[in-house]
Amino acid sequence: MTDLIPLTALGCTAARHEKIGAFHLTERPNLALASLSLRKGQAVPSPFGLVLPGPGQAVWSGDHGAFWTGRDQWMIEANGQTDLAALLKAAVPNASITEQTDGFAAFELTTEQGADAIDEVMRKLVNLDPHAFEAGSATRTTLDHISVFLIRRAPDKLSVIGMRTYAAALWHALAQVARRTDADIDARLSP
Amino acid sequence: MTRLSTGGLIDRETQLRFSFNGRSYTGHPGDTLASALLANGVQLVGRSFKYHRPRGVFAAGSEEPNAMVELRSGARQEPNTRATVAELFDGLVARSQNHVGSLERDLLAINDLFAPFLAAGFYYKTFMWPKAFWEKLYEPAIRRAAGLGTLSMRPDPDSYDKGFLHCDLLVIGAGAAGLAAALTAGRAGAQVVLAEEDFQLGGRLLSERDSLDGAEASLWVTKMREELQSLANVRLMPRTTVFGAYDHGIYGAVERVADHLPTPGDRVRQSLWRIRAKRAILAAGAIERHIPFAENDRPGIMLAGAMRAYANRWAVTPLKNATDRVAVFTNGDDGHRTALDLMAHGVPVLGVIDTRADAPRFGDYRLFAGATITGTKGRHGLTAIQITQGSKAAWYSVGALGVAGGWNPNVHLASHHRGRPVWDEGVLAFLPGPNGPHGLIPVGAAAGKGGVANALADGMQGAITALGQIGLAAKPIPLPQAENTPATQEAFWHVPGRRRAWVDFQNDVTVKDIALAHKENMRSVEHLKRWTTLGMATDQGKTSNISALAVMAELTGKTIPQTGTTMFRPPYTGVSLAVLGGGDTGPHFRPKRLTPTHYWASARGASFIEVGPWMRAQFFPQPGETHWRHSVDREVLAVRAGVGICDVTTLGKIDVQGADAGEFLNRVYANMMGTLKVGMVRYGLMLREDGHAYDDGTCARLAEDHFIVTTTTANAAGVYRQLEFFRQCVWPDLDVQLISTTDAWAQIAVAGPKSRMLLQRVVDDADISNAAFPFMACRALTICGGLRARLFRISFSGELAYELAVPARYGHALMERLMEQGADLGVTPYGTEALGVLRIEKGHAAGAELNGQTTAQMLGLGRMVSAKKDSVGAIMSRREGLAGDKRRLVGLKPVTAQTPVAAGSHLFTRRAVQDMANDQGWVTSACYSPHLESYIALGFLEDGENRLGEVITAANPLEGQEVAVEVVSAHFVDPDGGRLRD
Repeated sequence: MTDLIPLTALGCTAARHEKIGAFHLTERPNLALASLSLRKGQAVPSPFGLVLPGPGQAVWSGDHGAFWTGRDQWMIEANGQTDLAALLKAAVPNASITEQTDGFAAFELTTEQGADAIDEVMRKLVNLDPHAFEAGSATRTTLDHISVFLIRRAPDKLSVIGMRTYAAALWHALAQVARRTDADIDARLSP
Repeated sequence: MTRLSTGGLIDRETQLRFSFNGRSYTGHPGDTLASALLANGVQLVGRSFKYHRPRGVFAAGSEEPNAMVELRSGARQEPNTRATVAELFDGLVARSQNHVGSLERDLLAINDLFAPFLAAGFYYKTFMWPKAFWEKLYEPAIRRAAGLGTLSMRPDPDSYDKGFLHCDLLVIGAGAAGLAAALTAGRAGAQVVLAEEDFQLGGRLLSERDSLDGAEASLWVTKMREELQSLANVRLMPRTTVFGAYDHGIYGAVERVADHLPTPGDRVRQSLWRIRAKRAILAAGAIERHIPFAENDRPGIMLAGAMRAYANRWAVTPLKNATDRVAVFTNGDDGHRTALDLMAHGVPVLGVIDTRADAPRFGDYRLFAGATITGTKGRHGLTAIQITQGSKAAWYSVGALGVAGGWNPNVHLASHHRGRPVWDEGVLAFLPGPNGPHGLIPVGAAAGKGGVANALADGMQGAITALGQIGLAAKPIPLPQAENTPATQEAFWHVPGRRRAWVDFQNDVTVKDIALAHKENMRSVEHLKRWTTLGMATDQGKTSNISALAVMAELTGKTIPQTGTTMFRPPYTGVSLAVLGGGDTGPHFRPKRLTPTHYWASARGASFIEVGPWMRAQFFPQPGETHWRHSVDREVLAVRAGVGICDVTTLGKIDVQGADAGEFLNRVYANMMGTLKVGMVRYGLMLREDGHAYDDGTCARLAEDHFIVTTTTANAAGVYRQLEFFRQCVWPDLDVQLISTTDAWAQIAVAGPKSRMLLQRVVDDADISNAAFPFMACRALTICGGLRARLFRISFSGELAYELAVPARYGHALMERLMEQGADLGVTPYGTEALGVLRIEKGHAAGAELNGQTTAQMLGLGRMVSAKKDSVGAIMSRREGLAGDKRRLVGLKPVTAQTPVAAGSHLFTRRAVQDMANDQGWVTSACYSPHLESYIALGFLEDGENRLGEVITAANPLEGQEVAVEVVSAHFVDPDGGRLRD
C-alpha cells in the first residue's frame, strides 16, 4: 500500500456533501470506472454478471454497473475498487480496457421532492427531455459547456460523471441549479 | 382618481405604493404600472422620440408605443420598459424618459417647432457640412435629443439562467383559443407547455364583458387554470414571452421569473427557455390598429380595445377627471363595444364617431355616422375633438378618445422563417401564410378567426389537428356557451388632411412622412421603412405597420397585398442581453479545468494563467522576488543545474489499443510508428489533411497492441476527435479502440541533471539507470510503496528528464513527496513560463510554431514525413508551393544581448525596405534566457538554414521597434543532445 494520501477531485480528503434545500449533492470518489471496448468480432461479454446495456441505457447488479458509451463500448462501474481495469481484464481477457477511475469526478444529486424535482433540475442543466430519461437511462451530453455522462439511477437520483479536472466547475454548476430550482419549487408551493 | 368603484380583476383590499417621477401613488395587486397611473389620473407619461410631443398610454399590452419608462433605481434601473406590461409591486419606482427638464416642461419640446426640418430622412439630408462636425457635434446632439431611456452604467446585480423544455405541444398565448387548445391536449395526455406573456391567463377574455356559460369569462378562466394546474403533463408558464421560432421546432422564450418582485431573492431575474416542441399552436390573438387623423397623438387618445381593457380588467378610465366625457372613433362595429362597456361602467360617453355612412347603432348613445375626427386640442392631455360630418365640422369637449381601426392577427411568429402573411379582404388584415415555421398552427384571432366562440372552437380543433400529426389522439372537449360579437368594418385607413397625423407614435412618423418618402422615390416597403424609420422603434411598429402599408398603397395606387409587408424577425418583443447570455458572470463565467496539483500550487502561492480552459501555474514566486522574471529565471536555472518539477497533465493523452493499433498510428502520424519497440517512446508529428503540420507529441508503446499518444494541450480534444473520425469513418476495418486518459493521470515532468537521483528515491524497485532505462524508454512501475505509475524518459527542456504519471488523485501527494525527497537536491517547482523558456532555449516547437501555417520542412522536420508509407497529409505536403517553402526554423539572438525581441516581429534583411515584398519571415517565440544571459527568439526565416551568422532585422513596426539579430541554430542549449542521453 502506498503511503501517499489521495485527494478527491474537489481537492479534499473526504467526499463533499451539500444539502441544498430539498436536494442533496454528493461527491462519490469511491466510484471506480474502467472503459471496456470490444475488439473486432469479439462477442459481447458479461463481466461481473452484468448484461451489458444498449444505447442510452445503464444497468446495475450488486456492486457493479455498466453504461453504454459507444458502439461495442461501455463504462464499467464498481464500488471502492482501486484498480478496476485489472479486475475487468481478468474477467474479459481479450478486450481493450482502460482504467478511468481517476479520469472522472462522479456527483450524485438526490431529492426529497421526488422525480419531478429531478426533472426540473434536468431542464436547467441539459437539453434532454426528462420524461424520456427515466431510471436506467444514461447518455453523454453537455452541461454548462462541460461534457458529462448523465445517468438516472432512480427517478429521484441523478448521477453526473464529468471530467475530473472540471470537478470544481461542475460542482458549482450543479449546486447553483439545485439552489435555484429549490427556490423555484418554494415559490411555486408558497401562495 | 379615475378608478371605477366596482369591477376589475384587482385586489382592492391591498394597497401597493409606487412612485412616478418622484410622486407617490397607490395601486392594487393585479394592476400594471399603466393601469395604476391611469387610476391616479396620470395621462401624460412620456415624450415622443423626435418631436418630444407629450404622450400618454396608448395600448394595454406589449404593443405599447408610448408609455416607455425607466423602471427601478440604482443598478437595477432598466430603461425602455413598457408601463403597460410592468406588473405593479410595492415600492416600484418609475420615471418617464426622453425629456430635458420636467416631463411637463420638456425643453426639447422646441423640436416640435422645427418639425418641417425634421421630416423623413432628415438626417440623410441635413447636418452635411462641415463634415468634421458630424461625429463630434451633430450625431451626439441628435442622439441626446432623440434618446430613449438611460442606463445606470452599473453592473446588473441579478442572475439569469437558461433551460430546455421538450413537449408535444407548445401553446403560445392563453386566451380563449390557447386555453381551449391546452386543455384539449392536456386531457389527451400530451406533454403541453402553455406560455402566456401576461401575468394572468385569459387574454382578451379578461378585457371584454363576454360571458361564458352565462357567467363572467374570468370564472371560466379560473376553472381552466385550476384544471390545467392539476394536470402533471401541462406546464403553465405565465410571464413568458415566446419571442422567436427557430429551426427544427425550437422556440425561444423568456420567462420573467422575478420582474414582478422588488428583488429576485434566491431566484433568477429571468430565464431563457429553448422549447423543443413537436407541434406548436399560435394563439397570440390580435393587435388593434388605429386610424391616423390630425393631431391624433395627444395623451388621452388610445386604442378603443385598450380603453375597454382598462375599464373591464382594471376598473379605470383614461380620463384625468372622472366627469369628463369619452368619445370613440371607429371604422367598424368593434368601436361601439367600447362605448357600450364604458356606459355599463357609468362612464360619461359623448358618442361614437363611425366612418361608415350606414353605421349601425348598438345602444343608447349619440352616433356620428359617416363622420371623422379632423382635429384635437389639449396641451398635456386631450380636451376637445373636432368632428366632421359631411361638410360640417364642430368641436366637442372630451377627456379621452378611443380609436378602433380594426384588428391585425398577431402573425409575427408565423412569419418567421420567411413566412409571408397573406392579405384577406374579408377581415381586412394579413393572415398567417402557408410558408411559416413547420409545425406551427395559428388559431383563433391570430388566424383571423376572432370572436370568443370561434376562438374556442378553433383552439380546440387546432390542438386535435396538431396532436393528430404526431400520432396522438385527442378528443373534443365540451366548450362553454359563447357568442361571436358583430365585427363588420370598412376599409378606412386614415383621415386625409393637412395637419400631421401620426402613424408610428414611438418613432414620430406621420402620414406626411410616408407621402414624402413616396415622393422621394422610396417605392419598396422595405425602403419606406428605413427612410422614415417606421416600425423601427422598440415596439417594432406593432400598432402602426399595417396602417402605414395602407397609406402607402393609397399613395402608389397599389393594393395592400401588392405593397406587401416588411420582414418579420425575432425577437417578438425586446429580450435583454443578460438573459440571452443566461449564465454566470465573474469567476464562473466559463468553467475552468484545474490540474491535479492545482491546490498544491495554489498553497505555494503560484501565479496562475489561463491556458484555454486550464488554469496552469505560471511561476512560483519566492520571498524577495519582486518581478516575474526573478522567479522564472531562478526556476530555469534550477532545472538546468539541478532538478525541477512541473505539472504537465494538460497535455492530451489518448489510449490506443487493438490488433491494428500500430498500423492505425502509421496512418495518422507522418513518421513511422508501427515499428516502435515495446517499452519505448518516439516523437511523432501529425499533419493536417492539407499537408500542414497539425500537432506533435510523443507516442509510447506499452504493449504490442497498446500505445499512448500524447498531444499538445491546445489540440488535445481536436486530435482525439480526429482520431475517432479516422477510426470510425475512414478505416472502420482496422481493429483499434481509443479513449482519452488526459484527466486520469497526474503527469509530472521531473527535469534536470539530478532528476534521476530524485526519481530513484520514489521508485519502488525498478532499475532506472541509464543502461536499464535509456533516453526514450517508458514503463509501468510502482512508486512510494506500491502506487501504480508510468515513467517516460522524455525531455522538453533538453536536460536529462522524465515524466512520471500517477492516478490523478495522487498528484498532490506526489508533488509533496518529490519536494520532500528532493530538498537536498534543490528541487524546484517550475511553471509554464520557465517551461517556455526551457523549450525555446532547446529549440523545441510549440503552439507558436505549430500555428497551422507551417509545414514539416519549415520546422526542420521534413524528413520525418515518411516516404515508405502513406499517412494523413503526406501527399498534400509534397505539393508544389508547400514543399517549395524555403522558410526554416532558426534561432535569433540580438546583437545586443539585453535588447528584447518581440514575438510577432517580422524579419528583414538589414536595411531593406520593410514591406510585404521584402518580408523574410517572422519571430514565433521570444524570451530572456538566463542560461545565455541574453534575449533569444525562434522564428521562421527564408532560407534560414543557410544563413547562420547573418545579422538581420526583427522589426515590430506597430511599436516602432527594430532589433538587429544574429541568425543562429535553434538549439541554443546542448545542440548535440548529450544531456538527454546521459
